[in-house]
Amino acid sequence: MITEIPFPLSSEDDPGAEGVVATWFVDHGSPVAEGQLIAEAQLDKVSQEVHAPVSGILYQYVAEGVGVAQNAMIGRIDS
Amino acid sequence: MTETTAPTRRITAAMAMAEAIAIEMRKSEDVFVMGEDVGPYGGIFGSTTGLYDEFGPDRVIDTPISETGFIGAGIGAAVEGLRPVVELMFIDFYGVAMDQITNHMAKIHYESGGEVNVPMVLMSATGAGYSDAAQHSQSLWGTFAHLPGLKVVIPSNPYDSKGLMASAIQDDNPVLYLFHKGAQGLVWMKKNPRSIAEVPAEEFTVPIGEASVAREGRDVTIVTVSLSVQHSLDVAEELAGEGISVEVVDLRSLVPLDREAVLNSVGKTGRLLVVDEDYRSFGLSGEIAGIIAETDPALLSRPMRRLAVPDVPIPYARSLEYAILPTPEKIAAAVRDLMS
Repeated sequence: MITEIPFPLSSEDDPGAEGVVATWFVDHGSPVAEGQLIAEAQLDKVSQEVHAPVSGILYQYVAEGVGVAQNAMIGRIDS
Repeated sequence: MTETTAPTRRITAAMAMAEAIAIEMRKSEDVFVMGEDVGPYGGIFGSTTGLYDEFGPDRVIDTPISETGFIGAGIGAAVEGLRPVVELMFIDFYGVAMDQITNHMAKIHYESGGEVNVPMVLMSATGAGYSDAAQHSQSLWGTFAHLPGLKVVIPSNPYDSKGLMASAIQDDNPVLYLFHKGAQGLVWMKKNPRSIAEVPAEEFTVPIGEASVAREGRDVTIVTVSLSVQHSLDVAEELAGEGISVEVVDLRSLVPLDREAVLNSVGKTGRLLVVDEDYRSFGLSGEIAGIIAETDPALLSRPMRRLAVPDVPIPYARSLEYAILPTPEKIAAAVRDLMS
């Protein structure tokens, strides 16, 4: 099963605003456990933790620091 | 296949600090946190993030901007048997509270003939590199290590951040815990990947007073602490490609100081560079030189080098700031010079 991971909605006033994955805590292609901290997403000066919705292997779609739209997919977990 | 590998839990140094405090708070009602913006904000450098949500306003207390007041309150709580973890937002602000820190926190145990303990942690942010200017960028660990009565610990990575915090809270003596803003793994700071690392979720301690050989080498010893450990490890990797084998000794504690670790490493390599983000004169780098000179100057096959902040205030202008900081480029140049 494939579970995609969206960039969390940070700004409801400006849904088109771009953020970045500031930190990936799990390397591309590495195993994750459900609930594990996988990324810190930052938009303007607000950061939010992203946790794994399921266990499996994490694949990153975007590199740290690259602009990404809210709700765009930043990676997936294959389980 | 990766499927057989267990997931690795990696966190930032800031998260590691908060996790250690949370574990101690769960174990004992005596442990509480106090300081400016340590509550809902979670500490401006992330050291208390999440604690307010779990423990509430009675045990995670936001204070007014009065360092003398809340550090003094922490000392009072400690002598009455509690275990306060007090945050001084920037170590640069020590000035207004210096009487509380050095005449009370550091000396009550001695003045009372050993009858009264001060089991308190004072944690504070240090370091430069992001244009915060002369009053928000200092290291100052040499100042506190110089004055008797305080233990002084300084982690350089997430594992030690958690383990040293646990040890500091459990210690019956007053401990000054200094963390570098640039080594916290914060998203809004320039970040070295070494600030994010695997850390066990369960409780563990890192002993106060024990240095760590962060990297073994044969040719040159770098003795250092804090963010400069991360820089030195990066440089050691780079210079390995040039055939120079660098040993990096992370002191981790200045008080007590692990003199044996310094002597052992220098005895092996014969060449010494001390890297210190604190001021050069009358500080850590001179202390290390003194240990070598008093023990056996013949340990050194050539004169040692010191790379520290020249005795000037930290500049605001980014170019000037980096001109005085011990950058990886300067560390590499100093090592090459020792090998030439």
